Amino acid sequence: MLHRRDLFDLSARGLGATALLSLLELDGWLAAAERTTGEAGFPNFAPRARRAVQICLVGGLSHLDSFDYKPELARYHGKSLDSQEQPDIFFGKVGLIRQSDWQFRQRGESGLWISDLFPQVAEVADDLTIIRSMVSDSANHTPALFVANSGFQFNGFPSVGSWLSYGLGSETQSLPTYVVLPDQRGGPNGGASNWSSGFLPAQHQGVVLQGGPQPVRDLFPARELGAGSEAATREFLQRLNERHRQRTGPEQALAARIRSYELAAEMQLSVPEVSDLAGEPESIRRMYGLDQEATADAGRRCLLARRLLEQGVRFVQIYSGGPIAGSPRASWDAHENVLENHSAEAARIDRPVAGLLRDLKQRGMLDDTLVLFTTEFGRTPFTQSEADQVGTGRDHNRYGFSVWMAGAGLRPGISYGTTDEIGWKAADKPVPWHDLHATLLHLFGIDHERLTYYHNGIQRRLTNVHGHVLPLCT
Amino acid sequence: MLRHWYFWVLLPLVFTAAPRANCGAEGPDEAGGSEFDRRVAPLLAAVCLDCHQGPQPEGGLDLSRREAALAGGDSGPPIVAGKPAESLMWQRIESGEMPPKHKLSDSEKQLLRGWIERGARWGADPIDPFRFGTARRAGRDWWSLQPLAQVAVPEVRHADRVRNPIDAFLLQALEAQGLEFSPDAEPRVLVRRLSFDLLGLPPDPEEVERFRRQPTEEAYSQLVDRLLDSPHYGERWGRHWLDVARFGESDGFERNNPRHTLWPYRDWVIQALNEDLPYDQFARWQIAGDVLSGGSADGLAAAGFLVAGVHNTVVGSSESMRRQAREDELEEIVGTLGQTFLGLTFNCGRCHDHKFDPIQQAEYYRLTAAIGGVNHGEREVPSPEAREQLLAVRRELGQLAESIRRLEQPARRQVLEDRQAGRASAPPPPAALAHWEFDGDLRDSIGSLHGKPVAGARLADGALLLDGTGYVETPPLANDLGEKTLEAWVELDNLDQRGGAAISVQTRDGNLFDAIVFGEREARHWMAGSEFFRRTASFEGTEEHRASPQSVHVAIVYQRDGTIRGYRDGVPYGKSYQSAGLRDFSAGTTNVVFGLRHAPPGGNKHLTGKLLRARLYDRALSAEQIAASHASAGGHVTEAELVERLGAEERAERQALRERRKQLLDREQQLAMLEKLRIYTVDSRQPPATYLLHRGNVMDRGEVVEPGGVAAVSGVDAEFHLPPDATDAERRKRLAMWITDRKNGLFARVIVNRVWHYHFGTGLVETPNDLGFNGGRPSHPELLDWLAARLIQDGYRLKPLHRLIVQSTAWRQASAWRADAHRVDAGNRLLWRFSPRRMEAEVVRDSMLQISGRLNPRRGGPGFQDVTITPNNGTTYYDPIDREDEALNRRTVYRFWPRGGRSALLDTFDCPDPSTTAPRRSATTTPLQALSLLNNPLVLRMSDHLGRRLEREAGQPPEAQVERAFDLVYNRPPDDEELRLAAELIRQHGASTLARALFNSNEFVIIE
Repeated sequence: MLHRRDLFDLSARGLGATALLSLLELDGWLAAAERTTGEAGFPNFAPRARRAVQICLVGGLSHLDSFDYKPELARYHGKSLDSQEQPDIFFGKVGLIRQSDWQFRQRGESGLWISDLFPQVAEVADDLTIIRSMVSDSANHTPALFVANSGFQFNGFPSVGSWLSYGLGSETQSLPTYVVLPDQRGGPNGGASNWSSGFLPAQHQGVVLQGGPQPVRDLFPARELGAGSEAATREFLQRLNERHRQRTGPEQALAARIRSYELAAEMQLSVPEVSDLAGEPESIRRMYGLDQEATADAGRRCLLARRLLEQGVRFVQIYSGGPIAGSPRASWDAHENVLENHSAEAARIDRPVAGLLRDLKQRGMLDDTLVLFTTEFGRTPFTQSEADQVGTGRDHNRYGFSVWMAGAGLRPGISYGTTDEIGWKAADKPVPWHDLHATLLHLFGIDHERLTYYHNGIQRRLTNVHGHVLPLCT
Repeated sequence: MLRHWYFWVLLPLVFTAAPRANCGAEGPDEAGGSEFDRRVAPLLAAVCLDCHQGPQPEGGLDLSRREAALAGGDSGPPIVAGKPAESLMWQRIESGEMPPKHKLSDSEKQLLRGWIERGARWGADPIDPFRFGTARRAGRDWWSLQPLAQVAVPEVRHADRVRNPIDAFLLQALEAQGLEFSPDAEPRVLVRRLSFDLLGLPPDPEEVERFRRQPTEEAYSQLVDRLLDSPHYGERWGRHWLDVARFGESDGFERNNPRHTLWPYRDWVIQALNEDLPYDQFARWQIAGDVLSGGSADGLAAAGFLVAGVHNTVVGSSESMRRQAREDELEEIVGTLGQTFLGLTFNCGRCHDHKFDPIQQAEYYRLTAAIGGVNHGEREVPSPEAREQLLAVRRELGQLAESIRRLEQPARRQVLEDRQAGRASAPPPPAALAHWEFDGDLRDSIGSLHGKPVAGARLADGALLLDGTGYVETPPLANDLGEKTLEAWVELDNLDQRGGAAISVQTRDGNLFDAIVFGEREARHWMAGSEFFRRTASFEGTEEHRASPQSVHVAIVYQRDGTIRGYRDGVPYGKSYQSAGLRDFSAGTTNVVFGLRHAPPGGNKHLTGKLLRARLYDRALSAEQIAASHASAGGHVTEAELVERLGAEERAERQALRERRKQLLDREQQLAMLEKLRIYTVDSRQPPATYLLHRGNVMDRGEVVEPGGVAAVSGVDAEFHLPPDATDAERRKRLAMWITDRKNGLFARVIVNRVWHYHFGTGLVETPNDLGFNGGRPSHPELLDWLAARLIQDGYRLKPLHRLIVQSTAWRQASAWRADAHRVDAGNRLLWRFSPRRMEAEVVRDSMLQISGRLNPRRGGPGFQDVTITPNNGTTYYDPIDREDEALNRRTVYRFWPRGGRSALLDTFDCPDPSTTAPRRSATTTPLQALSLLNNPLVLRMSDHLGRRLEREAGQPPEAQVERAFDLVYNRPPDDEELRLAAELIRQHGASTLARALFNSNEFVIIE
């Protein structure tokens, strides 16, 4: 089987191969309308994951107060950072070290340390694979979000979901391949650039699914049309196009457009259907926290994510946290007070996320569904305050933080990598985003060095020229 | 000690190998080169020298220089001449141990083995890795870097199809495959294609008809000239260029601040193309216009090219962060320059020598030195002439205001006196909680709910002007609010708006609100808006028929028992209804907004029009109280009342005065901008020293680098011969000269290919920004060179090139699919037909506007804004808005174009986000695209307009409307079956339904 990259090697030898390449380029005509298999040759090997859901905590979750237990922090509480190095943190105010405000406990049979910040998630600890040595290239929200999504700090690079859509195509034709569920309180910094397809064709970008009568933009007419007009329009259009095609001959472009209207009609049925949670039993609704005001938003989206995944959507992103700025904060960006902020934010997602894991598991979906729980960076062990004070807020920390994954044949109930004794910097086995991305692609049966797309002189990859697959599989 | 031992063992080899190398090779000749130079050295460079060269090579082995290579490293000498089996180098290669990262093919292995066997003769020393290309990379012998070839126009068999040399070159290749051109496209199709291609708009039906009647060569040629002379040409081809120039009107990155002053660059591009500014000059101005022009407005605008890309405005505090951000910025500019003008990816040389093209890392830094004085900035260009005119306009406006006032005064006084007389017996108006008069300020004249304007809200003529993006908000209420009455006096800009509110009481997050909303659920009706329509039902009131300048009074009363009543002009509006229950609003978290349904702003929540007055009551008013309030309307005299009391002559005079005022206000706005034109452009500073950065690491500086070009580009001197302290102006002038030199064949090849790409859908090289190793190979290399030479001959003017291309037989072919040709060349690289193309996003939108008769022809100036801009401490959100507004109906090229501020319709039609240069656009076909074209509000509105246009222009019967519709949309009459079907559709569902269907049809969207 030929891959694009091989084609470029071949193309040095003459026009024949170049023509072949242009043929492949032209199949953009047919993209999404007919092709559902993605790029030829993908997956490269047997995948463990067929679909994924990512919960993105916007603002920076404090790993020190959640998934990275640092008993030494209690000892150093109120002391200054014992370091010659001036931390290059975001706001430049380095206060004294602060211990965690939450109790940590060993959970389940695995004995993973998780704090009381996430009591529900802690109950499913045995299903988690925690990475405690993440590092990022940036300590600013927007570029850090871009890195987490696309591997690059800059605008214009395709996000993980877009790469998956490009490489693997879709399992369903009547739903988007890559769906984004933003926080009710608003989109994250950088907005739609976070789920951009960058230089990949537009059909690979994330599609925002909202509540309300118009879940996908332009799904239905912006205003009411006369009775019967829609059906009559469709039928007329079809006959018009058919006559046109008879005159013009077997043109792929025309056939693809006709097909795209059929698929559009299917989407008009399937999107509302999948978005309608009314048929879900009470027990499930409770499981996701739909019955509680605090958890209703995240619960609705977690449940919707499961339904989307069931219907063949490849990648769902759930954002926890809206715009960074503002007061009170609507994200995890706890500069002022970690205890208050994180308590409120965790209360919104703890039950829904645990519910999602439990539900996926009881349906047998966790075996080949990857669940990711990520944040763009962590927070500092010292507070953001005057140098002689123990403040209540923590600043951005890109040198060490935690994320976790679950399902998809990962070794459950383990942790990978460590930070130093106060949780400031990754110590053992630092994991940059490129490695996490390489691992993610690997779980989908993709060699991250082979999934490439030519753009302005370079065969671009999600992992740029980096990336190592982490040894996390069973 | 050990080293010495090696030396002695090595000695014989040095002595034996070196002389043999010297006499064995017939001396290094630049053209041919020795076997070593042509084949071995490039391979060593590609797979070994990454590690095995420089001051600290891996294993101590430096393979880049003969002496060091033969001496060997820690493991001893690697090569025993003539004896591969004994050569360490061959042993490691044979075992696959080396090279560790790059796998060698068998033939590459054999090449190295053979070379050792034949005596390991060396050539140029040290190795010149870029002299010759290999199967892995390009050398200086790469095709695109060579001077333009002198090519003769070939002879072909089908000479009758040759209209100009383009056809000869193409036919030659076709005939070699046993193919020929398709027949000419029919005249109707040709005019259509030409119009979309050159102007991006559908042709005038009359133009089509004229050419259809007389499709002569001369008529065609005149048509081409007319279109090339149209100002729309620059708008169409300017948009292409803006794609390449990654023109975006916000900074990108974290803050993504809007750039409201970059539009002069867009206008300059359009104007330069319309004037057919020679392309070399076009390029020079964009590289150095500010310094070449001595700081003229045009020059500054042109140089906007350099800074049209993203700009990181949050760079961090540490030295390394600052350097990193600056190097990123320079790479962005150098990369765009290289790809735009020379089709080379200079940017790949930032951390190492270019992996595929003959560009050294040091050369990359020479280029950054050449633009080291370029910074993002804004310049103000004062225009004394504009200032003078502005003063005059303002003087006249003052006089006009006085004339109008004097003319209206008697009538106005009369109205008020009449009212005073009639009001004597009326009850006093009810006491309100808050009262806003909007007369010169936003103050609450009763309490302290003083308004604060947001975005485009402003005051004028005693009213609050709402432009559809702006609104006014008050501080929070001091007391809880239970029962209430909302009241407003409104002038609507238009009656088709859907969903804006005059006044709204809301929780500040907007999650809970009660508002006087216009047209949201039922067009032209008032309703009591509420979150998720929880307390909303239809009043079943009358349809609104008063738009500006008429005003209307609306009030909504909310009772404790959930009853909601509407009033209009003091009397009940439709009927009251029982809602789910009254909603209490808490003190502290509740405020009042005007012009916005509820927070956050955006979408259809904005009202466009004027608010003359508003009141809020903390109780449910009775019908009598509402009537009294309405009657007390105070000093505001409505347009109708005023006009009624004016004589015919006075009315005419007033009308004339007002029209003049409108003109002058427009003019004033323009002049105010030109008086101190602000232009986002290069902030030119003295460049600091440029260092080569090892591995691109900003903290690992190497030698100081002087400004210069890339030696591999043949024909031009890459040395800039500038002193180290040369100014920014000197550097960029030299850079511009180097790039645009007449002897630089690559410069001409790139633009000729780019133009070809836009005409045919695919370039002769299919990667217009990359004529290097990773790009495509030319399908017709001789034609490319011939066209490039022709361009230079024509003084770099692009219009003659367009003329040549669109007049060729090749471009005029029919687009019909042919089985025979498809078998041989499915991708149509040989151009046996014209490839049908899907319209670009802009063409779809502009064509719908034009066909429905709503295209606003206004050219230039600040872009129209179809997004709201919400700065939110440190980042900026752009949300699409949509409304019926002439100002938004301009050509898409004039859209304010922020990064990340996407539009559903343009997006699904593959409009690129201007994050990086976009030399090609995808042309996808997706269900979301179909949905957007079916349902987007703009499409529905334009369908309505086209429907009305058909009814107006063609009248009855529906068949006449169908004829007109097909003429406008397809430039052809319907056939019998189409006529029957379409007329039936109109009869059942109206002409706008037909319009919507046609806009969605293949024949409209695909250009044949």
